[in-house]
Amino acid sequence: MIDLHTQLSSSFLMTKLTAELDYQLETKEDFIIGRFNAMASPCELLIDSKDLSLGQNLMSVAVNETRRIEAKFSRYKNDNLMHAINNSRGNPVFIDQETYQLLQFADTCYQLSEGMFDITSGVLRKIWKFDGSDNIPTATQVRQILPFIDWQKVVFTPTQIILPKGFELDLGGIGKEYAVSRVSNLMLSMAPNNSVLVNFGGDIQVSQVRKDKKAWQVGIENPTNAKGLAVVQIREGGLATSGDANRYLLKDNKRYSHILNPKTGYSIENAPRSVTVAGIDCIQSGILATLALLQGQQSETFLEAQGVTFWCYR
Amino acid sequence: MQLIKDKKVAATLAAATCALLGTQPAQANEQKDDAWQFDTAILYYGESDRVQLVEGVFNAKKDFGDEHIFSAKLVVDTLTGASASGAVAQPGVQTFTRPSGNGSYQVNAGETPLDDTFRDTRVQLSGQWTQPIFENTRVSTGFNFSNEYDYLSIGANASLARDFNRKNTTLSFGVSYQFDSIDPVGYAPIGLAQMQLASEFDSEEAFRTAFDATRDTEDKDKDTFDVLLGLTQVINKRMLMQFNYGYSVVDGYLNDPYKLVSVVNDTGLTLRNLHENRPDERTKHNVFWQTKYALDSGVIDVSYRYSTDDWDIDSHTIDSRFRWNISETSYIQPHFRYYTQSAAKFYEPFLEESTPLPMFASADYRLGEMDAYTIGLKYGQTLSNGHKWAVRAEYYSQRPTSDGTAAIGVLNDLDLYPSIDAFILQFNYHF
Repeated sequence: MIDLHTQLSSSFLMTKLTAELDYQLETKEDFIIGRFNAMASPCELLIDSKDLSLGQNLMSVAVNETRRIEAKFSRYKNDNLMHAINNSRGNPVFIDQETYQLLQFADTCYQLSEGMFDITSGVLRKIWKFDGSDNIPTATQVRQILPFIDWQKVVFTPTQIILPKGFELDLGGIGKEYAVSRVSNLMLSMAPNNSVLVNFGGDIQVSQVRKDKKAWQVGIENPTNAKGLAVVQIREGGLATSGDANRYLLKDNKRYSHILNPKTGYSIENAPRSVTVAGIDCIQSGILATLALLQGQQSETFLEAQGVTFWCYR
Repeated sequence: MQLIKDKKVAATLAAATCALLGTQPAQANEQKDDAWQFDTAILYYGESDRVQLVEGVFNAKKDFGDEHIFSAKLVVDTLTGASASGAVAQPGVQTFTRPSGNGSYQVNAGETPLDDTFRDTRVQLSGQWTQPIFENTRVSTGFNFSNEYDYLSIGANASLARDFNRKNTTLSFGVSYQFDSIDPVGYAPIGLAQMQLASEFDSEEAFRTAFDATRDTEDKDKDTFDVLLGLTQVINKRMLMQFNYGYSVVDGYLNDPYKLVSVVNDTGLTLRNLHENRPDERTKHNVFWQTKYALDSGVIDVSYRYSTDDWDIDSHTIDSRFRWNISETSYIQPHFRYYTQSAAKFYEPFLEESTPLPMFASADYRLGEMDAYTIGLKYGQTLSNGHKWAVRAEYYSQRPTSDGTAAIGVLNDLDLYPSIDAFILQFNYHF
């Protein structure tokens, strides 16, 4: 027999505050903020609407999609595709279309950067610990690890990848920006009439211009090492920051940035501490910022040539 | 330091980004269209020495976008075991005729008589469609169907909900109608007719004639009409409150065809057993209040329900759950529920021979005075693929109490109000 109370409650009354509090919603003057934590960052969505149920729909899709990407590509899980690839010991691993597209994209970045952007270079983290100390790895350590870095030795097809033994893939330089762009595109398809700003720890994309053409105001961690938040205004497109003002090594008055050259195994010299780029979308901005850092002294020159808005902090 | 020579990196990257994300919106749409959500559960309910139930639930929900939501539910359960028939325990062995009239069964001295033919499989199917109709207003309609061996139930419901006050207030109004058709084994017994015993007749034929005379071969059914008014209020960003008022009228055959009332003499010995008889109408009112409060690491959910009806059954229910998130992906949830009700005005644990036969009488323990409580614990986890599972274990205790009727003679030494202890175990999987 039906219980009308149950029917009504489950239909729509209780959806406002479900027991599954994966995220938090807050109503502001003329928009909604949804917050959750993922990818080791505070994540937020600014939704240009006052419709809480729309906010809930968007948030649940955004949270699910983010967690999906994180679960699939995170290096820190031992039950996912990344782990299978990194522990394949030279054996082929089956991949899906999404992974293939990400590898293709990484390949494009490798080609564009003439080998400076290399997703096999994550192994350098084993010898470089950017904890503010003076622990510079020895020349022997660097020499020993270099044979395990070379994107060109990775073979992949649309259905499988063969990673040489001892190699590791790290999509950390793409993953979060990819998630931001993916979520932003999902928001655009789900809410074609509402602007949504997606901000995962300072990597940002706006799905479309707001109805009143106003810019979104969003606080990002100050790209300089000053305390507090920097407020940026963003109307459309993406924004991403690469580099971390607080991660470096210091020895004999020489500063070693945490941007490493995959070809030499050493820090890029004279790299800005951080680069923020405002581009077409989050991924493009993120890669441009990273490529700029890899240019060292030439960061600004490189970015100026690209015709994008940027901020270099040295 | 070499400088990237290609001045068009930004443009090439933009094109590569399109390639990376370009095929994805299709996948995104697909994901949205394909967003069927399924809930499955299997539940075991076991009363010590009484009823056991195994229930499977399959729930499917799909959001077609723009708040157009369809959900469907299939429940299959199997009941086995026996429940108290209402006849009193006796110092000697008692014989009862089976509801079909075919054969009899015996109940040992001192034991509560149970109807041992209690066995059934039930299939329930329901569907619900919800969508917005005007701005801030949603309409929801649904149907349900349930069938078991001797029972068929069909129903429909409709409700309207409207948000006010920037969606912080929701008012709702719902109605439902239910039609139940009851086809008892061996036809419905006539209210207060005496249960015939084959042993008291010379021939099987004579018993059959007498048995048939206690049966009403007309179709039995009942109509239930429910109205519900609800108010949900967001108190602040952490607290939500709901108030409901419900009104319900049932009209038709409301007896339980398998329940008996014993007629005893002044020493408490059973002279005969009668088939119970209840009024054919019941009007209920209830009010319900619920509060959910979100903490940083969980949710407190407390509710209270008061229900009253013209059978004089008043009940109070306090239900409380505390969901405590022990990690980002798992929680535990203790549950406590307390229920108390007063007896129906025609509830009689037994009838005395010396007093005139009342118009209505039932010894069904579910209509008597009782307290019940449930304590339980649930553990739930979200898997890395987004699927969720949960397991729930609960202990349920039902303690019938005397409504003041004094026991007579031998009944003083027998358990007139047997309690029920049940264990519930449920496993859920959501994907």
